[in-house]
Amino acid sequence: MNAEIVRRTASAVTIRAHSHYALHAARRLLIYALLLFVSVFTIFPFVWMVSTSFKSAGTIFALPPQLIPDKLFQPGMFDNYTEVLYRYDFVRYTVNSFFVSTMTGIGQVFTASLAGFAFARMRFRGRNALFAILLLTAFFPTEVTIIPEFLLGARVFHPILQPIGGWMNTFAPLIVPSFMVGSFGTFLMREFFSTIPLELEEAAIIDGANVFQIFRSVYLPLSLPSVTTLFLLSFINNWNELLRPVLYIRSRELYTVTLGLTTFQGEFESAWNLLLAGSVIAILPLLVIYVFAQRYIVQGIATTGLRG
Amino acid sequence: MRYYHPITPYLFIGPMIGGLLLFRIGPIFASFLMSFTNWNIRTNPTWVGLANYQELLSSDVFWLVLRNTFVFVLTYVPGAMILGLLMALLVNQKLKGIAFFRGLYFMPFITSMVAVALAWNWIFSTRYGVLNGMLTTFFGIQRGPAWLSDTNLTLWVLIVVSIWKSAGFQMMVFLAGLQGIPQNIIEAARIDGANRLQIFRHIVLPLLSPVTFFVLIVSIIDAFKTFEVTYTMTQGGPRGSSSTLAYFIYQNAFVYQRMGYASSIAYVLVLLIAIVTIANFWVRRYWVAQQVN
Repeated sequence: MNAEIVRRTASAVTIRAHSHYALHAARRLLIYALLLFVSVFTIFPFVWMVSTSFKSAGTIFALPPQLIPDKLFQPGMFDNYTEVLYRYDFVRYTVNSFFVSTMTGIGQVFTASLAGFAFARMRFRGRNALFAILLLTAFFPTEVTIIPEFLLGARVFHPILQPIGGWMNTFAPLIVPSFMVGSFGTFLMREFFSTIPLELEEAAIIDGANVFQIFRSVYLPLSLPSVTTLFLLSFINNWNELLRPVLYIRSRELYTVTLGLTTFQGEFESAWNLLLAGSVIAILPLLVIYVFAQRYIVQGIATTGLRG
Repeated sequence: MRYYHPITPYLFIGPMIGGLLLFRIGPIFASFLMSFTNWNIRTNPTWVGLANYQELLSSDVFWLVLRNTFVFVLTYVPGAMILGLLMALLVNQKLKGIAFFRGLYFMPFITSMVAVALAWNWIFSTRYGVLNGMLTTFFGIQRGPAWLSDTNLTLWVLIVVSIWKSAGFQMMVFLAGLQGIPQNIIEAARIDGANRLQIFRHIVLPLLSPVTFFVLIVSIIDAFKTFEVTYTMTQGGPRGSSSTLAYFIYQNAFVYQRMGYASSIAYVLVLLIAIVTIANFWVRRYWVAQQVN
């Protein structure tokens, strides 16, 4: 009798567990289906970009459009890429973008960590007011400051710097402004420095370290993750920057990838296979960085609300 | 305990302050003054008082651009935010491979707008574009719309592309917010018999509201600043139908060389952003949960 009850209860429990499991599995399946559905929209432009970049000039206008490109795994598969890279100089544009983005990244780390340290750990007159102004000015869109910035460059910096190559049509206007000002970078570094225990600093003071030594050998080494984040965000922003290259750069040998791409678009309106091979080239370095450093990038953007 | 010279902090902030004065504060004041002048690059500026602003108010193009800007903000902001929130809810699960999907959804946000806008240009192309191709194949529509040259459509194309590109950002911020909600509160509500929808409506949404506020402010400012997608896809055309304030500023300053006039438009933009942002902070207390310690 007792054994019978135990057996029945046990089987009831198993049935419930099974149906619960089935429900769970169904729900999981539904979620995966939804995830894939959203993915299709997210990656479709990239897929189409890559697909077109492997098509020959004759097949890009095929109707209906073909997803599988005709050059795929055929001889000359990378012809579009080599043509864009060498004949249309994208090798040089990419190198230029690397240079500009790296320099601004280094600059951001330098100025923002110095300022962030002062705002987090030093006491001085006007500290709060200056920090507030720094954040407030970030609300002004670039469109407001770019006109005077341009005129300042053209009318003041360019004549003064003429002996060493000038300002207009050099990398300087692409690098210096974002090298020096970074509200979000300073904010990020200040937040991070504030979390470092004061005891470390005090111990170093007792050991007789001065403030520069403390900054360099206590704070900076500890903030490597934040520094990495800051460098990468700045790198990405400047890699994608369009307005300043459009305004300042005239010589082709100084083009960045984004400028090269828009100019290319104007010149070869319907060479979509070449244009999109150029797009892939412009995106690929960022994707590689993103895959390897996703953690730093996502965290930085989510905490500071983006941008340099 | 101060173990440094009182001047030392200013050495630390020096480079930053120098940059701030030269490239932010200086230009902010300069462009305000310039908005009262007539200035193309070659000549010297002449003071014209409010003439630029008067010209703006009587210009049909300006009103069209202003209307486009509002349409853009009022559709992009809710679109990107709702989509971002839905995506955040979707990826806020403990499932195998979920990190991959999060990374994938965020990807458009970090890629260059110029590059992806080119791809979209090609997708939206009227005769050979894959979108109209699909309309023909699946719906039998022989001649799809001229997405990038129909004045009724261009602005919407730009809005869709902008939402596509940034939704991953809104998602990531919402996701961080969702993961900051203590599980025990949700557990308690479930034990009290609340269903999923009730939990979302009465617990998750209110607790998320500070994050929602942050996303709202950032999204609005981003929408007002739209430039790159316009520059790459439509150049504001045809006939100004897809031009918004930021692009209009660029066009007047650097294509038509009207620096003073462009500065007055820039200040209209500043004024709009300021009004909307301040208004948002003003109504914040009616819907954003306060931190209770």
